Amino acid sequence: MPILSPGQDSRPMPGRAAPWAMGVMAAMALVALLIFVLFPLWTVAHSLTGSRLLPNGPWVGLAQYERLWTSERWLISVGNLAIYAVGLLSGALGIGAGLAVLLDRRIRAEGLFRAVLLYPYALSFVVTGLAWQWMLNPTFGLPGLALLSDPDLAIHGVVMAGLWQGSGIVAVLILSGLRAIDDDIWKAARLDGIAVWKTYLFIVFPMLRGVLATATVLVLASAIKLFDLVVALTGGGPGLSTEVPAKYVYDMMFENQNLGQGFAASTMMLTLVLVVMLCWAVAVWWMGRRRDHR
Amino acid sequence: MARAVTPQRKAINTAAAWAVGLLIFFPILWTILTSFKTEATAIADPPVFLAFDWTLENYGVVMERSNYGRFLWNSIIIAGGSTLLGIIIAVPAAWSMAFVPSKRTKDILMWMLSTKMLPAVGVLYPIYLLFIKMGLLDTKFGLVIVLMLINLPIIVWMLYTYFKEIPGEILEAARMDGASLKEEVIHILTPMAVPGIASTILLNVILAWNEAFWTLNLTAAKAAPLTAFIASYSSPEGLFYAKLSAASTMAIAPILILGWFSQKQLVSGLTFGAVK
Repeated sequence: MPILSPGQDSRPMPGRAAPWAMGVMAAMALVALLIFVLFPLWTVAHSLTGSRLLPNGPWVGLAQYERLWTSERWLISVGNLAIYAVGLLSGALGIGAGLAVLLDRRIRAEGLFRAVLLYPYALSFVVTGLAWQWMLNPTFGLPGLALLSDPDLAIHGVVMAGLWQGSGIVAVLILSGLRAIDDDIWKAARLDGIAVWKTYLFIVFPMLRGVLATATVLVLASAIKLFDLVVALTGGGPGLSTEVPAKYVYDMMFENQNLGQGFAASTMMLTLVLVVMLCWAVAVWWMGRRRDHR
Repeated sequence: MARAVTPQRKAINTAAAWAVGLLIFFPILWTILTSFKTEATAIADPPVFLAFDWTLENYGVVMERSNYGRFLWNSIIIAGGSTLLGIIIAVPAAWSMAFVPSKRTKDILMWMLSTKMLPAVGVLYPIYLLFIKMGLLDTKFGLVIVLMLINLPIIVWMLYTYFKEIPGEILEAARMDGASLKEEVIHILTPMAVPGIASTILLNVILAWNEAFWTLNLTAAKAAPLTAFIASYSSPEGLFYAKLSAASTMAIAPILILGWFSQKQLVSGLTFGAVK
């Protein structure tokens, strides 16, 4: 499938190694190594200290983690992240698949439609937050959708705004997969008298595993990062009802002068991302192996 | 054509799709409409759609109260600068990956892309410290560097997917004619890769333009871009929706216009080159 699986057909090129290009790559790898490997390690190391305003606190072992996992706000944040991730993943894949099928059946002015689908994604979370804050407002928003003032429902308002922003790109990704499906498969299905929706559900979509896996990773990665949208939409309220882990980290570091606690929380988030990526790597490896054995 | 449909069917599909499209576009449309209302009309119950007295007063107030021009200028410099720098660094890298691939190329690419999955809060404080030590806090230069580094994996990735589609025979022919490596990159490769580079630039400008996490955390007054401008107008009570809408409209207008005139590049860019 097009993305996240490069180089299957790296054709043998009579290439000339360019020293300057190699130099650039080496420098880049070094910087990336610094920022993306060493910096997180620094964060992990300092999560074992009792740092407050400056990262120079005494060694406290796992005390920060004990405090973290007994903090009500952190537990609510993790719960909200789970709700958001599940809602966003199922919603974006569902809506995205629906829209992609609609587009796949050929419509007029498709190019324009695809651009409209992607507009929300091209806007910043700050603007998304504003528009949805208005629409979900109890006094002058859309009738029956006053989600943000209700502590039990507010997180679903965040999910709704997230879906608005993210479904379009999932739809366009799935559409690119649908377009790559051989017409012969459709002909064969029609000859066998299989209904169109059954063909999609049982034949075509199973063939799109690669695209669907890619979309899943993209959606999950963006869900874990959830921060600006919450800040712009609810600021974490009402009460603690829409707090999320990234905001916890941020508030601990910059508002509460509790660096050690912030480092512990961000270490937990890094761990979560590593677990998701590991699952994905295993899935890719497993799918590749099955293909080889066929 | 297996997926060929009858004209009636196509009309129904089109109508259904555009109904959804309108629904998707509604929040944007609403923000733009609200920016032309008075504060009282903006929060009227029931909401007024089109039949209100259009006014430009919000734009006037926003322009007067805050220095929109400076925020816009900062956004342009930060988005443009980080994109330009990223492209300059990424072209040779993507070139060598696409045309002189090694066994490790695929792994390196995947590893680079996987760094995009890390939550930014994990590296926020170290970078913050580094910025203080180097005096880069609240400077455009610092943000250009950070945003360039953050988006570099995506730029390299996209350029790589585009470069890979360029047939190798053309490069060989150029070499036969005695083109040097530099000439090969500048005169042969780059022109052929222009559509791909255009999509990459557009995507990166949009990403950098919208980037709120780093811009809000690493700037204060001097280098703050438009994201900070809108954020400064946010009020939890929602008393200034019309003005906030005017500020937002001014912040998103460049993206909407840019996207409208380059739909193909927008789609190609936002899907990381998966849709050509």
